[in-house]
Amino acid sequence: MIRLLSRAAAAAPDQVAVVTPEGSLTYAELLRDAHAVAAAFADPSPVRVDPSPVVGDPSPVRLAGVRRVAIVEPDAAWVLRLLAGAALAGVEACQYQPDTPVGELLPQLAAFDHTLVVTRRPDLLELADPSPVFIDPSPVLIDPSPVSEQATGRPKQATGRVLIRTTGTTGEPKAARHDWEILARTVEAVAPRPHQRWLLAYGPQQFAGIQVLQHVVAAQATLVAPFPRQPRDGLDALLQHDVTCVSATPTYWRFLLTEARSRGVELPELEQITLGGEAIPPDLLADLERTFPTARISQVYASTEFGSIVSVGDGRAGFGVDKLVSVENPEAHLKIVDGELHVRRTAGMLGYAGRPDVPADDAWKPTGDLVEIVGDRVEFRGRDSDVINVGGVKVHPLPVENAIIALPSVAAARVFGRANKLTGAIVAAEVVAVNGTDEEELRRQVKAAVADLPRAWHPRSITLVEAIATQGQKTVRRMEP
Amino acid sequence: MTDQDKTLAVITQFLTRADKSTDDVSPTTGLYGDGLELDSLEAAELSAMLEDEFGNDPFSSGDELPQTVGDILAFYEVAAPA
Repeated sequence: MIRLLSRAAAAAPDQVAVVTPEGSLTYAELLRDAHAVAAAFADPSPVRVDPSPVVGDPSPVRLAGVRRVAIVEPDAAWVLRLLAGAALAGVEACQYQPDTPVGELLPQLAAFDHTLVVTRRPDLLELADPSPVFIDPSPVLIDPSPVSEQATGRPKQATGRVLIRTTGTTGEPKAARHDWEILARTVEAVAPRPHQRWLLAYGPQQFAGIQVLQHVVAAQATLVAPFPRQPRDGLDALLQHDVTCVSATPTYWRFLLTEARSRGVELPELEQITLGGEAIPPDLLADLERTFPTARISQVYASTEFGSIVSVGDGRAGFGVDKLVSVENPEAHLKIVDGELHVRRTAGMLGYAGRPDVPADDAWKPTGDLVEIVGDRVEFRGRDSDVINVGGVKVHPLPVENAIIALPSVAAARVFGRANKLTGAIVAAEVVAVNGTDEEELRRQVKAAVADLPRAWHPRSITLVEAIATQGQKTVRRMEP
Repeated sequence: MTDQDKTLAVITQFLTRADKSTDDVSPTTGLYGDGLELDSLEAAELSAMLEDEFGNDPFSSGDELPQTVGDILAFYEVAAPA
């Protein structure tokens, strides 16, 4: 991160690095601030004395020697300052969803043993019994002059690590520990494209968000980062901030297009559209091609644990079978075992939080992603954990969902398993109808749309809803009780 | 609308959506076989509709599966507070 940032600041110091609701920052300013943050992490003097020594730890808080820090920050410029500063100081940073309510955030912090949290959120800074310790980073930048000269000097060797929490909610909370240097390998080949303006649609606490940050800095481009980061906010950014490139999930795109159409606005041309995080419904791909005829559409397949795995830009769903290990391609990173994609030797994590590093061996690892070979393509069928067992029949939610979403009267839909005593589970669908659609008519249409699928795949519970459940900009498809 | 009428309304709505006849549905009508001819998937669908409407359903809550329309009606008459 810091190496990429130093390169951008040297090549294009006055280029705007990031635009947020709070303002904008050039690459030179960002690097200067990162050094100020790093200097604060090396400062042995106390940054804060506990205001309530009677109930709390009476010792003052010093940042020198800190090895791990949590970041709770909505503003992407601050996120970049803090991530780069922590990387420079060799401190492992871990971001949390910035608008998480206090009651949810404290157990999350405790789960990863984060005792020091950098945040500007007043409700956290004003907690009466602050455990962990919350620190406001703003004073670090009040007088950055003592460290500003470092900005033009040779950057220190970056050794920082970053902890990325996974979006899954089942089981114990997990976070993947990554090395910035290994992560940066995936953007090694990115050429400077300073005219590009990338929308930050993902949260920068997500792996895909980190990838966007790195890509933008490597391209010496501009990051446009609204907050909140809902699709409607992304649409506003597209219309107001001359965004030229967008990386987002299919679910995000679906909502952004629906929002644009309901507002009746004309969408600007885009240079680059990157899709990832979920299998891509063919009708959405076609819709994006129609809506943005001049855009290059590419798909990335990556995971928080395994890092960036495949990127394809031929406008077709899935990826070519030539990426699979074979006699012609014995060194490939991918193979299919019982319908599940397995990977090896990716620029993945060092290990899970709280556990030792995973040895960097050649072992194949299951991804949990189900795939099928269709002609010369490997197409995604969904997550292993999303499969619904209906009376012994394995049902994949995605084909059902795609059939429903393709209906003109449906704005959005999600398909998931719902527990049932008679069959173990039934297929359930939540549908957001286009305004003015009759409910019973919509039910008939859904039924007709799935008629070609096996009977066990037919949704037995169809609910009309105002909005579908998403997490990390992805549609939630896990089993419900 | 009495509890019995509400329950019958859900059953009728289910039958309509499933393209089954709603004629001659009475408490003695069997749910499977010669009656409404529900298979396990359809029974699961009806149980989900009843659960959505009333918060519980006789297919999941009872010790024995209901056999007739009357069994479903009876489940809610017993279960519901007077």
